[in-house]
Amino acid sequence: MLIWFLPLFLILLMIGLPVVFGLLAAPGLLLILDGSSRDLAVLYRNLYNGIDSFPLMALPFFMLAGEIMNRGGITTRLVEFSQAFMGHLRGGLAHVNILSSILFAGLSGSAVADTSALGSTLIPAMEKNGYSRKFAAAVTAASSVIGPIIPPSGIMIIYAYVMGESVAALFLAGIVPGILVGVGLMVMVRLMADRYDLPKAERIVTKNQTITPLEARVSFVLIRINVAGLLYALFAGIRAAFGLEINLNGWLIFLIFLPIAHGLMMWLRANVSSDFRLVCKKAVAPLQTPIIILGGILVGVFTPTEASAIAVAYAIIVSFFVLRSMTFKDLGPVLARSALASSAVLLLVGAAVAFKTVVSLSYAPQILTEFILSLSENPLILLFLINILLFIVGMFLDAGPAIIILGPILGPIFTELGVHPVHFAIIMSVNLTVGLATPPMGLVLFVASTVSGEKVETVSRAILPFLAVEVLVIFLITFFPAISMTIPRLTGFVQ
Amino acid sequence: MALLFGLLRPLQLFNDVVLRIGRALAILALALMVCLILGQVFFRYVLNDAPNWTEEGARFLMLWMTGLIAPMAYRQGGFVAIDMLERALGRLLSALLTLTLLTIALVVLVYCVQLGWSNVDSLTGRGRSASLRLPLDLLGGEAIRFRNSWAYASLFVGFVLLTIVNIELMLRQIIRLLGGEDRLPPLSDPNVARAD
Repeated sequence: MLIWFLPLFLILLMIGLPVVFGLLAAPGLLLILDGSSRDLAVLYRNLYNGIDSFPLMALPFFMLAGEIMNRGGITTRLVEFSQAFMGHLRGGLAHVNILSSILFAGLSGSAVADTSALGSTLIPAMEKNGYSRKFAAAVTAASSVIGPIIPPSGIMIIYAYVMGESVAALFLAGIVPGILVGVGLMVMVRLMADRYDLPKAERIVTKNQTITPLEARVSFVLIRINVAGLLYALFAGIRAAFGLEINLNGWLIFLIFLPIAHGLMMWLRANVSSDFRLVCKKAVAPLQTPIIILGGILVGVFTPTEASAIAVAYAIIVSFFVLRSMTFKDLGPVLARSALASSAVLLLVGAAVAFKTVVSLSYAPQILTEFILSLSENPLILLFLINILLFIVGMFLDAGPAIIILGPILGPIFTELGVHPVHFAIIMSVNLTVGLATPPMGLVLFVASTVSGEKVETVSRAILPFLAVEVLVIFLITFFPAISMTIPRLTGFVQ
Repeated sequence: MALLFGLLRPLQLFNDVVLRIGRALAILALALMVCLILGQVFFRYVLNDAPNWTEEGARFLMLWMTGLIAPMAYRQGGFVAIDMLERALGRLLSALLTLTLLTIALVVLVYCVQLGWSNVDSLTGRGRSASLRLPLDLLGGEAIRFRNSWAYASLFVGFVLLTIVNIELMLRQIIRLLGGEDRLPPLSDPNVARAD
């Protein structure tokens, strides 16, 4: 009897019942029909326990940090920074759009936030520079899926929690795939630039930039600490690789590197214009966020949840005191938005945990495994097929709910077949995230259409070449595990 | 129709007021959660002494945040659903479908309310937390350890509020079905945020 819960769930989902109720209704109804209504209490306990979780707390915190950053005028700085590097290329603003998405991805874990923040700045700017509006909207939507692939990432926190994986490992595994999507999109823009004669732009938009003395000082210190840290990491790597024995305290080595970093910066300073320098300086404080988050997790100073709380604190300090772009009055709405959005997701995760217990009680996984194995026993072919399935699901369902539903069903099958759980998690995350930008039901498409004022159908058509690139990247990630697994392996987060 | 509006108005007023209070409390809970976890890091690294209650306290707050603000998210359409069929159908059929879906949701919610209450009223609910306590000793009284049911109550309250919201949405849908859509007051709020 219990085996029917999956078809029942799918029917409820397809007729439009909110996912969270479907996740509870399907197994609940079958438990009642099965005469085991006492197990309903277990279902409810699992729902409760599913939400009562410390690792899951990273979700509202990262959402909050992203919201604060967004309000704090950080988007404009990232766009100007990207422009200073890529604006002069042919199709420059399209490249700027993609690079901004990559940078923004390090601050926020949501594709929707990315589309609305960057879209409202960049789509009008691109239109003014001679791009068609549909192209601008399509680039914005296509590149915003990088948001949840590069850490921090909402859906990876959810996946890690529901499947019992390490959040840190998933975060690290997402870095290269995310950048790869970005690079792929840039190549596509380059190809289209020749064909459609896309315009160039200027390197620096706002001439005669200004910066407050406090921010200038903060950037001055931060950039030197970061460069010295980078040199130190390089040094440590070389020392380990060649087995050099140097008996110096770590802090002392770091202190030696500080003046070297300073010298390096002064040398660079002499070679660029003052506007370029200021644009870069103004991006230092925002871009410190991913360094704090990943650095803290990598060094093992704090857990991902603590890192997310620190990201909130850092965002508040930067927006309130350094950039002075937010006031206490703005904090209430920002907190409300994050609480609203995360409460819906938390309930969904709780319901998924309850659903998962019934999945394991029923014989569904075994039957599905048998079915999938009857198609082929070659993991590569199965991965190909599963990618197609995920892509289709992604067309109709948001990434979060899709990963919650499919993770517990598909994950164990592929782990059994010898696919590394972290690798499989990345395949699922990237595929379903790209699904956010696929017609007919792509959340990011809807947002891009709202922000640009262009029809969803028009944006959907304009996005097709970029989707082709993203599909290609999905297959690269699937069939070359090294793309995602190298960083977590090197850092020891995956054996 | 007058009867329907007569039923809807007090319900809508109740939801307007209660959910706004819920939102204010949820905001407070989220802010406190951040403070607790930051405090945990601070105590561990600066004072070398991590208190054992911060994590549980933050989880307690997260549960209440969810329970108190999820009803507002539901009311504003923040629960993810595939609404393709609804959009593909004609006006009447789509309205009937929505009403059916709301009825299914109501059944689920009523079950959740019942299960939620028996969870609050359970044996484990009466147990007390090992680490969370009301620090009345600071005021000269005796510290009271948190009952588990205080945390369990969060989702129970959430499901009760969700049920009330669901009934409101059903009434609105019936009014819409009977052609009174233009007289329905809007539910929108500028602070709607989507989940992904």
